[in-house]
Amino acid sequence: MSAHGEGFGVRAARGRRAIRIAAAALALGVAASAAAHHSFAVHFVADKVVTVKGTVTEFSFRNPHGLITVDAKDADGAQQHWRIETNSPNILRRRGWSEDSIKPGEQVTIEGYPARDGSTSMRVYRVTFADGHELIGQRPDPAATPGQD
Amino acid sequence: MRALQTAVATLALAVCGAAVAAPSLDGFWTVKFERKPSGQALIDELPKSAVLINDTGAGELAAGDFAGLKLKPAAIEQVKKYDYQQELKRENTCVPPSVVFYMQAPFPMEVYQGRDLIVFKMEYFDMYRVVFLDGRAHPPDGAPHSKSGFSTGRWDGDTLVVETSHIEPGTFMNNGFSHSAHIKLNERFRMSPDGKTLWLTQLYEDPETFDGVAARYMAWTRKPGEFVFPYECDPSYGK
Repeated sequence: MSAHGEGFGVRAARGRRAIRIAAAALALGVAASAAAHHSFAVHFVADKVVTVKGTVTEFSFRNPHGLITVDAKDADGAQQHWRIETNSPNILRRRGWSEDSIKPGEQVTIEGYPARDGSTSMRVYRVTFADGHELIGQRPDPAATPGQD
Repeated sequence: MRALQTAVATLALAVCGAAVAAPSLDGFWTVKFERKPSGQALIDELPKSAVLINDTGAGELAAGDFAGLKLKPAAIEQVKKYDYQQELKRENTCVPPSVVFYMQAPFPMEVYQGRDLIVFKMEYFDMYRVVFLDGRAHPPDGAPHSKSGFSTGRWDGDTLVVETSHIEPGTFMNNGFSHSAHIKLNERFRMSPDGKTLWLTQLYEDPETFDGVAARYMAWTRKPGEFVFPYECDPSYGK
């Protein structure tokens, strides 16, 4: 029995049983509400990479995920607003990223793993700037470059 | 009397010797991404019936993939109701996972080892663990639960064996499957002979949410002179 099931002092067997059932339901209920932690695999397609070229409108570099918003145009010329998340800034900081790595107004090409729900969202793999320099986000195969994390 | 004193002194030396012989896990450890487990020997010590969950480090399980674990009916219902969009809400963004999940995350940790306790300072969500090595008992069932739970440990030769109870419900697999407050965790930490790699196997029992036993394996590389960064989760990431 967990904390949820102890110390009520109920004497009647029926009452104790009711409390045990309630405690079990509560334990599972709490589990449901405390549920899963942001999964890459559930949100994004790992084996597909899409590319967006556009103008950065915002960049935040805070845990649990950094966020880059980009205005771009689709193949038909229609305006799109992309919400592009990075993996944890702590991990990226060790790869040379910082709060100042990306600035609003910059022209960037971003490759990343698209959202499963088809929205204009992705997890960033690589950012390429107008001068050609790059920042690497989530690598396709972490074991291929050991020690970077 | 003298023989008794000698015996006691010998025993004391043996105890001290055992304490000295315990390897030091002190230091900064970063996740080692491996294609093939370097700590296979530790994995081989898991019960044969254990389901090994392959989602550690950078690993992930897709929706509906529970690594072959047989979920209880209530857990299946819980998973069916799972709405991943809820995770992106501000109020959920910075809810920390429990020790069941945070030990396998791809973030480094610092370990501080004393005679009577070991402290794990995790980068992920700024979590801390305290493992008591002084022989104390676990608190009664009614004691509060927490995300790190209550841990006691002992040295089994070169292996640190840790038992953890009183773990608050939280993510088990981050595709919607959560563990209950009744989960029990057994861990075995062991260093490689050269002291450069730390291996861990975790063994879980949670009869409320799944049948049998499940396990995970992790490996870290020691990097002297480095430190964990503050995590300082910011809920503004959420929608």
